[in-house]
Amino acid sequence: MARKLYIFGIGGTGSRVLKALTMLFASGVKLGNDFDTVIPIIIDPDTSNGDLNRTKDILRLYQEIRNQIEQPDDFYSQEIKTINELSNNTQVVNPDYFQFKLKGTDSNTFNQYIGFDSLYEEVKEKDDKSFVRLLYSEKNLKSNLDVGFKGNPNMGSIVLNQFTNSDDFIKFGQTFNDGDAIFIINSIFGGTGAAGFPLLLKNLRGNDKLPKHAKIKDAPIAGITYLPYFSLTKQDEINAESFEEKAKIALDYYNRTIITQNQINTLYFIGNRGNTNHEEYAVGGQEQKNKAHFLELAGAMAILDFCKNINSLTNTTQIKEFGIENDTQNISFSDLNIENAKLLSGPLTKFKVYTEYLNKGLNKSLGVSRWTKSNIKLISNNKQSLLDKNYFNSAEYKTQVKAFNNYFDEWIKEMKENKPVFCPFEDITADNILEIVKGNIPKGNKNFQPIDVQNCLFTENVSIRSYEKKHTMLIKMFGKSTEKVLSQKNLIIR
Amino acid sequence: MKDLFASIYENLIYNQQYDLVFQHLYDSGGYVKLGLIFLIVPLLCWLAFYFLWRFPYGKWWHWLIWLFVAFFIVSGLTYGIANTEIFASNNTALNNAISDSSTGYDNFVSTLPFTYLLINGLLSILVGFVYSLIMKQFSKIQIHLPF
Repeated sequence: MARKLYIFGIGGTGSRVLKALTMLFASGVKLGNDFDTVIPIIIDPDTSNGDLNRTKDILRLYQEIRNQIEQPDDFYSQEIKTINELSNNTQVVNPDYFQFKLKGTDSNTFNQYIGFDSLYEEVKEKDDKSFVRLLYSEKNLKSNLDVGFKGNPNMGSIVLNQFTNSDDFIKFGQTFNDGDAIFIINSIFGGTGAAGFPLLLKNLRGNDKLPKHAKIKDAPIAGITYLPYFSLTKQDEINAESFEEKAKIALDYYNRTIITQNQINTLYFIGNRGNTNHEEYAVGGQEQKNKAHFLELAGAMAILDFCKNINSLTNTTQIKEFGIENDTQNISFSDLNIENAKLLSGPLTKFKVYTEYLNKGLNKSLGVSRWTKSNIKLISNNKQSLLDKNYFNSAEYKTQVKAFNNYFDEWIKEMKENKPVFCPFEDITADNILEIVKGNIPKGNKNFQPIDVQNCLFTENVSIRSYEKKHTMLIKMFGKSTEKVLSQKNLIIR
Repeated sequence: MKDLFASIYENLIYNQQYDLVFQHLYDSGGYVKLGLIFLIVPLLCWLAFYFLWRFPYGKWWHWLIWLFVAFFIVSGLTYGIANTEIFASNNTALNNAISDSSTGYDNFVSTLPFTYLLINGLLSILVGFVYSLIMKQFSKIQIHLPF
């Protein structure tokens, strides 16, 4: 039975975990247990948020590339769709549909949004105003909502409460079917995520106006809640020193209203106490573009864990935490537990070799190796490569494949620059690409030649050829050739 | 096979006046040896080139080098075999003719190994080119060579 997984990513952390998950899917990771489609749903009032827009762009590129692959079976094999594509049965890629729209947050301040300004200063309404002032500071009231809630969940809980009435949320309900599941990503120490998670869960379990409510209320639901895992370069409207205190308060609330009430099947907690990494201070908007962090990758693995164990869920909330084998600030594959190492090592290494090849190895083979030639004389068409100079100069290659690969490389690089460092790969050149896995130097040829040899051998393989879907050959060929070479050289943890 | 190879060589350099040496090469199987050299050596060379050589960056000049390698191997072997067949034979009549300078055999046969070298070398190029066109159809890596 084909199943769908709806993933709600709330706030900046939600966007960043979705980005990590998309990178894993691009590398060939699949959800398993018949989950053939993933529907990412980003909830963030901060529409110009750098993290949000980067994630939406990555999701768009993923879809555009995947739509140009005939039956992907390795890289890009997991299908990602928007609610709009599901409900309208269309294949038109529009990344805006990855985000649920919040009405009235574009240009309003919080006091305008809640109607505070329209209250008169007369005796009766003055009491109302005073009551609102009790709950919200002047800064809260004057805050622009188009940059989010600046770490104030008391504001978020009011604004986010309206999104369940939105068209998008209704479409979500309409497309929900038996066997489908829901995963929610939030951070507990900010504004949007901390407020959005309990509200969303409450509506999923208890909003009987939601289409197919009977199915949704009993559906498997899991969530990952991020405890503080980064700090900020300065203290201002958002004060990183309050992250831990806010997390404690929210945890207590979650415990009372979610965990002990068994409102969720599995709740994953993840954080990094005593963290030392500092993100550039930004209240939101384009400037909020935090570096990718290993914990976001771990969060993506929580989603995979949930799907893997979906058939053994109980009605009692199960709490799970993430840990690594070695207490180190410099994490590589060998520091993860063996299950996680097996999950990540193959796909990430293969995809990294593939992106490195296109950056550093293609120059040597383009127009020379037979897998890049489409005009070989006296040879039938089915033996000619579809990946010639025209393909590598095409707009589709440059604006889709190359652009996505740049995001992937940036993601890996950012995790290396963050703390704790996640750096399973060595810096390589075209001459030592196969020394890419940290602590694992293979014997024999270490340059790109073995990859090119495999590409040549796979060129005539019928299963990787498609004239209609342009990226089929590139993506499928590299999925196979990197697998073969890395396996032969024992560079993948099995 | 004897007749086939003999017709190739004798059509090119047969000389009635020195029939003894040509008859000897025919009878002793020398033509077969020479013929097999220009057929088999390029065959092995081009099999190695198209099916064993796993170098994905091959260019037309790699093919050309290979052609010359085959040419030189064939030439070397041809020269050696022709020399042995002609000058180290058990054919008394031929040996006598060669040792008798008045017959002119010694002058004629002294050029024969080099002539066969050239013929076989050129044949190896021709045959190698044909092999190339056939083998490239089945090659996975050098399918694009020579063109």
